[in-house]
Amino acid sequence: MTSDTILKGIAALLFFLGIVIALTVWFIFPVCEMHGQYTETLTGMKLPMPCGYSARAETGIGALIIVAGGLLMARRTPETRQAVGVFSLACGVLVVLFPTIIIGMCRSADHPCRQLTLPALEILGVVVIIIGGYLLWKRE
Amino acid sequence: MGSRHEFGFLIFISRNLTNRPYRNIVTIFAFALIAATLFSSYYLTAGARQSLDTGMSRMGADILVVPEDYVSSGEAVILIGQPNSFFFGDSGFEKISRIQGVSKASPQIYIATLFASCCAAPVQMIAIDQRNDFTVSPWLKQNKGVTLGKDDMIIGSSVIQNVGNDLIFYGHTFHVVGILEKTGTGIDNSVFTRFEDAYVMADESSLKAVQKLVIPPGMVSAVLVKVDPGILPASVASEIQKQVPGTKIITPNGLLNAVNGQLGAVTRLLYGSTLAVTIVSVPLLGFISAMVASERKKEIAIIRALGASKNYVVKMMLAESFALSISGGFIGIFAAIIILVGFQDFISSSLKIPFIIPSLVSILAGGGSALLFSIVVGGISSLWPAVRIIRSEPYETIRRGES
Repeated sequence: MTSDTILKGIAALLFFLGIVIALTVWFIFPVCEMHGQYTETLTGMKLPMPCGYSARAETGIGALIIVAGGLLMARRTPETRQAVGVFSLACGVLVVLFPTIIIGMCRSADHPCRQLTLPALEILGVVVIIIGGYLLWKRE
Repeated sequence: MGSRHEFGFLIFISRNLTNRPYRNIVTIFAFALIAATLFSSYYLTAGARQSLDTGMSRMGADILVVPEDYVSSGEAVILIGQPNSFFFGDSGFEKISRIQGVSKASPQIYIATLFASCCAAPVQMIAIDQRNDFTVSPWLKQNKGVTLGKDDMIIGSSVIQNVGNDLIFYGHTFHVVGILEKTGTGIDNSVFTRFEDAYVMADESSLKAVQKLVIPPGMVSAVLVKVDPGILPASVASEIQKQVPGTKIITPNGLLNAVNGQLGAVTRLLYGSTLAVTIVSVPLLGFISAMVASERKKEIAIIRALGASKNYVVKMMLAESFALSISGGFIGIFAAIIILVGFQDFISSSLKIPFIIPSLVSILAGGGSALLFSIVVGGISSLWPAVRIIRSEPYETIRRGES
């Protein structure tokens, strides 16, 4: 396999991972609000739980990863590859950090966001980090 | 010289493999699938068993005596922490401590707490008799400085609260003084308090809670029994059932059977998948190896014409196959670990089994077995092509111009 073919494959993989991350939180392993679970205020207003806000952030990050994949697909020069590498690495870290530290998920262990969405995002985030690392590490 | 030869051989194998990336990726995927399914079955069974062991050693009992109509409720409390309230119909349970072979008997009261809001699911409250308790007392001894006083509470690892904070049940405020280690069983979803505080909570509930809690005076939900050393728990269990009518016994073995029953379908499915994938893969991989051998007839003939022995060529083919099976095995086991560890809460709650990450020794044993199985499958599938190569004559092959 030539270096260019590998890069094309990685670009397609990044594009695909971005779509999967954006879809995971709403459709594949949906967060609590997609199951009809909300936080209710004293006035009766329904607000998303923490996982809902993490889901919104993940959708944005997923979109950015799609852009990174598209960029690498269009231009596979060493500079683009390194830029996409750094960008993917950062996006992967954020994919993991949003549901764990920055925003978090619901605290109840039996909520769907904790049982399914969180581990799925952690695994996807780590895959994006590995891809970003590979793009940075790869020689000419 | 020897090391130079080995190094050359390994480089040779690695180049042979990288020259056919797509075909080898498919082969690696097949080995990964075999190793992953086999490892998953082992991991699930080991995780459930170890969780049950940890949970029972936390309870500290050899036998759990429950009212005869509430065996499944008692099992659900211990296995998955499904909140339940039940009590003995009369005070016959008091005789248990006097039965021969019983070393210690500790009564407990089980109370299912109420559903509060979106993020506060009901938990199992277990009230203990501090004079006879051997469930929380060993933990308190290990954690010097922690005492279970008035309105104090020790909580399981899945109950969301920090030490020093308060939890309210039936309108009664409890102070969290400790958090138990994770066991993977229902204990993680339980909170422990004293008999006295549970009675006060029940008395106050008519005024403070949305639902009144009734604890029949002098009644308990279960009696945990420790048997004398050297005495079989089964014999004591049958004696208890004989002398105290209206009781049923839950033993660790009985719980293990219940878990195996629930896990059985999944492990059968996984072992079945391993078998199916193996049955399909062996001839498929054999066919792929034979195809590769056929394509490389000329190459192999030249290697032999250059002086390589038949053994060397067979060794080369087996090494390629083992390299693929080992890589596939490692990838499969690694992927299975990531998925099983990541989704362990989901697996536990959907299969309704106690579950904890197995010990490193268990993981290594399971991984080693799965890897060995992949290697054996790899070896078997490359035998036929290797035999074909041994039978061919290099001079004839080159002369016929087979590629």
